Amino acid sequence: MQETTPAAKPRVIVATQSGIVITHEDIDRAHDREQVSVTRARHGFLPRMRLFWLLIGPGILVMLGENDGPSMLSYAATGAKFGVGFFVPFVVLTFLMACVVQEMTVRLGAATHRGHAELIFDRFGPFWGWFSMVDLMIGNFLTLVTEFIAIRAGLGYFGVPPAVAVFGALIVLAVALMTHRYWTWERLILAAAMFNLVFVPVALLAHPNFGAVGRALLTWKPLPGLTQETVLILLANIGATVTPWMLFFQQSAIADKGLTTRDIRMGRLDTALGAALASIAALATMLATVPLFLHHMPSANFEAGEFAQALQPFIGHWGAALFALGIFEAGMVAVVTISTSSAYAFGEVARRPHSLNLPLREGKSFYLVLLVEAAAAAGLVLIPGIPLVYIVLIVNVIAVLAMPPALLFLYMLVNDHEIMGEFVSPPWANVLALGVVIILIGAGLLYGISVISPNALALIGAR
Amino acid sequence: MGPELRAAKSGMHGDVSGDELNSVMTALEPDQLISAKEKYHFPRRQLTGGETIVFWALRVYLVFMLGVVVFQLWTAAAPR
Repeated sequence: MQETTPAAKPRVIVATQSGIVITHEDIDRAHDREQVSVTRARHGFLPRMRLFWLLIGPGILVMLGENDGPSMLSYAATGAKFGVGFFVPFVVLTFLMACVVQEMTVRLGAATHRGHAELIFDRFGPFWGWFSMVDLMIGNFLTLVTEFIAIRAGLGYFGVPPAVAVFGALIVLAVALMTHRYWTWERLILAAAMFNLVFVPVALLAHPNFGAVGRALLTWKPLPGLTQETVLILLANIGATVTPWMLFFQQSAIADKGLTTRDIRMGRLDTALGAALASIAALATMLATVPLFLHHMPSANFEAGEFAQALQPFIGHWGAALFALGIFEAGMVAVVTISTSSAYAFGEVARRPHSLNLPLREGKSFYLVLLVEAAAAAGLVLIPGIPLVYIVLIVNVIAVLAMPPALLFLYMLVNDHEIMGEFVSPPWANVLALGVVIILIGAGLLYGISVISPNALALIGAR
Repeated sequence: MGPELRAAKSGMHGDVSGDELNSVMTALEPDQLISAKEKYHFPRRQLTGGETIVFWALRVYLVFMLGVVVFQLWTAAAPR
C-alpha cells in the first residue's frame, strides 16, 4: 500500500496519546465486531445461529433489493406472456449467475475493507474509474426512476395520489437513515425486504400447476419462439438479477459492516440465502400472472396497478391487493439500497466520509448525495406525460449491457494478488465468472440483432 | 457495547486510555480504521496491452449497444 495525503482531515473524535486517530465510525464498527468475536468464541448450535444472524445482511439485501419494481414487473410480464415453461428454469439460472458474481464482491470487500469504486480508482486510475462511475450513476438514476414508478403504481392501486406516494417514499427513506447506525439500518431494511415474499401467497391464490413447474425446471420446455419480444423479456429477466449497482452495494456494505476474511464463509451463505429467497419471490410473481396467459389476456405495457386489477378475477381482492403492495415494497426497498450504493460510490471516489454509521454532521455529503439522487428521480416520475414505460424498458436493457464492462473490473480486482493475497479467485470461480460474461454478451448481441435485423433473428430461430 | 467502547464513545473529542484504544484495536483489523483507510491507498497497477484492448473493446461494445437502444426507442416512437 502507498501512503497518500488525505483529501479531507480525518473526523477526529478520539485522539489517543499514541497519535492514533479513532472516529465515531470506528467505535460503532468495533462494537459490532466485538459481538461477532464473542459469539464466534462460543461453541454449539445456538451460537452458530447467532453468528449467522450477526453476519447476514449485505447478501440478502442486495438480492431482495434487486427484486425491485421493474424486476417484479418483468417477472409478471413473463408469466402473463409465456406461462410456465422455459423462463422458469431460466430465472433460476439468472440467480445462480448473480450468486457467482456477488460471491466475488464478498471476498473483495472482506479482504480489502474497501468499497468497489475506491478499488477501481486506486488500481485502474481515474480514467477508467470515471467510466465505471458514469455507468453506475446513469444506471442507478434511471433505475431509481423506475422504482418510484413502481411505488406510484403499487400505491395507486389503493387510490393513493402519485405525489403523496412518491413524497411518502422519500420520507421513509429519510427516516431509515436517521438511525445513523449501519446495524440498525440493515435490520430495518432486511425486515422490509422480507416482505418481497408476499408474492408467494399471491402465487398460491393463483393455484399454480406444480407438476408443470417441475417439468419446466427439468426440461426447460415449452420453449418460446425466438422473436424480438422474447429477446426483450430474456434481457429484462437477466437485468432483473445481475446489475452493476449490486457489485458496488454489496462490497461497500461488507466494508461498512466490517466483515473480515474470517467471515467470507458466512458472507457466501448470506449471498446464497438471499439468492434463494429472491428466486422464490421471482418465480412466485411469474406463477401469479400465469392465469393471464391461460386466459389469453394481453398484458403488454401493463404497469403494476393494471396487473393487480387484471389478476383480481383469478386471485381475488386480497390477492390483488397483496400483489400491489408487493410491487410497492419492491420499489421502496430498492430506492433505499440503490441510492445507498450511489452514496457509497460517491464518497469513495470523492474521498469523503461514507458510512451508514456516520452522524449527520460528519456524513453530510454521504446523506446529501443519497437523498438528492432519490429526490431527483422521484421528481421526474411526477412530470406529466413522461414516457414511463420507455424508461422501464431502457433501464432493464441498460443494466444488462453495462454488466460486462463492470464485471471486467470485478474479475481483474478479484484476481489481483497484490490486494487479494490468498483470497484470489480459484480457477473454478473464474470459469463461472467468464461463463456469466459470455452469457451476458451473448444476450446483448442477440438483442442487437433483434433490433437491427429482426429477419436475421427469425432465421436463427428457424434453425 | 463493551465498557471500554462505551467510555470511548462518551468521551468524544478527548483522549482515551491505552485500554480503551486496545479495545477498538482488538475488535478491528488495523486497515479497518478510518484513519488508516484515508492515509493508505492501494497503488495503481499498469494495464498490459491485452488488458487495455479488452477494456476498450467492452467500452466500444457498450457505446454501440446503447446506440441500438436509442435506435429501438426512436423506431418505436416514430409514427407508423
